[in-house]
Amino acid sequence: MTDFISISNDVRHDAELWTGRVLRIGVWISASLMIGGLLFAALWPSSIIMVHSNPSLSDLFGHIVFGAFDPVTLMFAGLVFLMCTPILRVITVMVGFAIERDWRFVIVSTIVFLMLLGEILYSTSI
Amino acid sequence: MPIISFISLLLGGFIAGTFGALLGLGGGVLLIPFLVIILGVPMHQAIATSIIAVIATSSAGAAMNLERRTVHIRLGMLLEIATVTGAILGGITANYLSASVLTKLFSGLLFLVALVMIWRVRQHTGQEPIYTDGVLPGSFYDDANRKIVQYTVKKIPAALLVSIVAGNVSGLLGVGGGIFKVPAMHILSGIPMKAATATSNFMIGVTAAASAFIYFAHGHLNPFIASTTALGVLAGSMTGVRISRRIHGNVLTWIFALALLGISIQLYLR
Repeated sequence: MTDFISISNDVRHDAELWTGRVLRIGVWISASLMIGGLLFAALWPSSIIMVHSNPSLSDLFGHIVFGAFDPVTLMFAGLVFLMCTPILRVITVMVGFAIERDWRFVIVSTIVFLMLLGEILYSTSI
Repeated sequence: MPIISFISLLLGGFIAGTFGALLGLGGGVLLIPFLVIILGVPMHQAIATSIIAVIATSSAGAAMNLERRTVHIRLGMLLEIATVTGAILGGITANYLSASVLTKLFSGLLFLVALVMIWRVRQHTGQEPIYTDGVLPGSFYDDANRKIVQYTVKKIPAALLVSIVAGNVSGLLGVGGGIFKVPAMHILSGIPMKAATATSNFMIGVTAAASAFIYFAHGHLNPFIASTTALGVLAGSMTGVRISRRIHGNVLTWIFALALLGISIQLYLR
């Protein structure tokens, strides 16, 4: 077991550090968007455009791309970004396994990624 | 949103996040009763908010745990296949169940969680056995004992079965499911408690994400409630991870378990 640990120790530690960093950045971006949305709503309540229940992912994406920002769009963008951080985590882990050439676990993480992707596609059809 | 609701949500999220990080849970077991009983938030909205909180706790905590190298990523990803399957089925099913049925189920879950927590405290007094004859070797540096702990994983099929149940409960009731995953990894698979807790924390975010998009699509995510709570949870979980080394875990767990028993009875009688 000691051999196993020493062989890929550095590569594995790098992959773990990168995954940790990706998560940290993702959390800060989503928190910033949510804080921005809440501040926006508190300071300029009249600026709220999207007051209906949850928009579809494509509506939300359209609002962001075309710059139609209002407090609710910012909050939803922050929430959806936060919901995407676990998916980013799976992608980073998958890349880490590929760098280590551990193809068995590249397949395992690809299955998890495809299941999450399938679930997002299913939710867009609701 | 009135300022009093804003402060309540932020504070509720902070407390749930702190306790979640201290006890290795997602925080949903505390957050849902708080939202439903105290703030009168509808059950489906409370579950959707809790799922966001679980993702926040997991992402904030996993970043720290990965840097400390306590997460067993391979085991986590393997079990994730089972939990994501369970979570997707749970997320779909929950939207066809009434709020009262979900409340009763959640009350039962809290009761179970409290009992498991008490049992864990009573079990956690001796030296934990380390197995080296399994598969998927892992290691981490144990701060408390100042040594590298090396271990292997046993009985993966059994842990996969428990993970399906954990994922299903997570999708159905908006909790992390760590209360099932941690004992499964520790007792069935024989991995050390610290690694089990960190791996569970890493996993619960992925499991929660599996049902989050379904709740989002059904319109259960209130942006004001979810954003405010998530910010409170993020601050709470970071605080929880920092103070966890200075607090006596067993006393905290007893208080928390007894509080959960009380909340469980209150929810059931609603």
